[in-house]
Formats: sequence, structure tokens, C-alpha cells
Amino acid sequence: MEKKEASEKKENSKIYEVGYHLVSSIAEENIPAEVSKIKENLLKEGAVIISEDNPKLRPLTYTIKKAFGGVYKKFDKAYFGFIKFELTEGDITKIDSFMKSNESVLRYLVIKTVRENTMFYPKSLSFVEKEVKFKLERSEKAPKVEKAPEKPASIEEIDKSIDELVATGL
Amino acid sequence: MNKQCFFSQNNIKHVDYKDIELLKKFVNPHARMNGKKKTSVCARSQRQLSEAIKRARYMALMPFVTR
Repeated sequence: MEKKEASEKKENSKIYEVGYHLVSSIAEENIPAEVSKIKENLLKEGAVIISEDNPKLRPLTYTIKKAFGGVYKKFDKAYFGFIKFELTEGDITKIDSFMKSNESVLRYLVIKTVRENTMFYPKSLSFVEKEVKFKLERSEKAPKVEKAPEKPASIEEIDKSIDELVATGL
Repeated sequence: MNKQCFFSQNNIKHVDYKDIELLKKFVNPHARMNGKKKTSVCARSQRQLSEAIKRARYMALMPFVTR
């Protein structure tokens, strides 16, 4: 259940991100408590939290089974959240094993990452699809509008500069 | 016409597996990854992209197959 990336720059080598799905059988009121458990464990290992996203209930693209005392339960939905943190001295394997043993975590992923924000469409995780689409349309249109007036202007400028050069040359 | 790499154009240095809207652009309707010829993404970004898509699939944010 773990995946780690080794081919990163040395300066970013201590920044990790843990993404997790919390089981949907937990009531929404109890989610912050579960998150604080994970966070406490991170802080115990000496992690410095950089950024985080509160778990939101979202549909899974396929059903995931998890055994509870020998009985499998199927899940179509889960609360997905992530925490990005810096680890200077602590052991990442301990964090990994904690996530593995945590009953309320349906699935998790520990990766190496960078300090900067890596999301291109930051709202893609939320359910406001319309808003995302609207933004996408705008972002696609915006550069076209910007580019159009630039090109003719640059050609004119070039012509002008050529004329000036010719005039000065003569 | 050769298209320029999407990630270089938008100055994306790290592809995030949580960025599903972005990753969806590079899979076909069967949810299979597009090859580098189709995506016209530079080699480095294509490697990052495939890693990100695989991670998203594992986390059930993206499907392995549809239909």
C-alpha cells in the first residue's frame, strides 16, 4: 500500500504528502477527530505540516473492499483528504505503518513531493464541476484574446523599426 | 504541425495525482492513457504524467477502465 518516489532533487527530498480515503461509514461530525489523530501521529514523528485539505465525501471510481474483523465491506464513497508535510529527522516508515494500521483509513498513499503547490486546477477535487468548467473555458479563451492583438502590433513595430533603420541608413 | 508540450507551456514542473481535471485530458474515453505521440508532451512530463495517472487510479480518483 505504499509508493515512494526516489528521483527527486536533494533539496526537496524531505517533503512528503500523504493522501487518504476515510471510510464513508464515519459520520461527518467525527471526521475532524479522525484527521487530528493522523495529524497527531505526524507531529509525533517531528513533521512540520505545510498544507492540508479537509476530507470531503466524494464518489470512488470503483468499489473498494476493506475487511473489518474478517468481514469485507464495500465502499463506493469515501472522504478524501491529504496532508503535505516536511520531515527532517522522523521516520517515514512509522507514518506509513500508522496509516496502514488505522481502521478508518480505507486507502492511503505516501509520496515524495515539493514544497510548492502542484495543483494546476485547484478546484478539481470539489463537486462544483460547473464552476471548474466555467473557469476552464475562461482560461482557454483568455490567452487567445491576449495573443491576438499582440501579433499585429509586433509586426507593425518591426515595420516601423525597419523604416527607421532604412531612413537613418540613407 | 508539432504541438508544444502542454506542461512546458503552462510551466508545470510537477504533475499532481490529485489534479484529475488535468489528467483527464490525457486519457481516452476508455480511460487508457494516451501515448506520447498523441499527447505531444515532452518525455520528462510524459513520465510524470503516467506516474500521476497510475497514482490517481490506485486512489480511485480515476478509473482503471470504463466500458
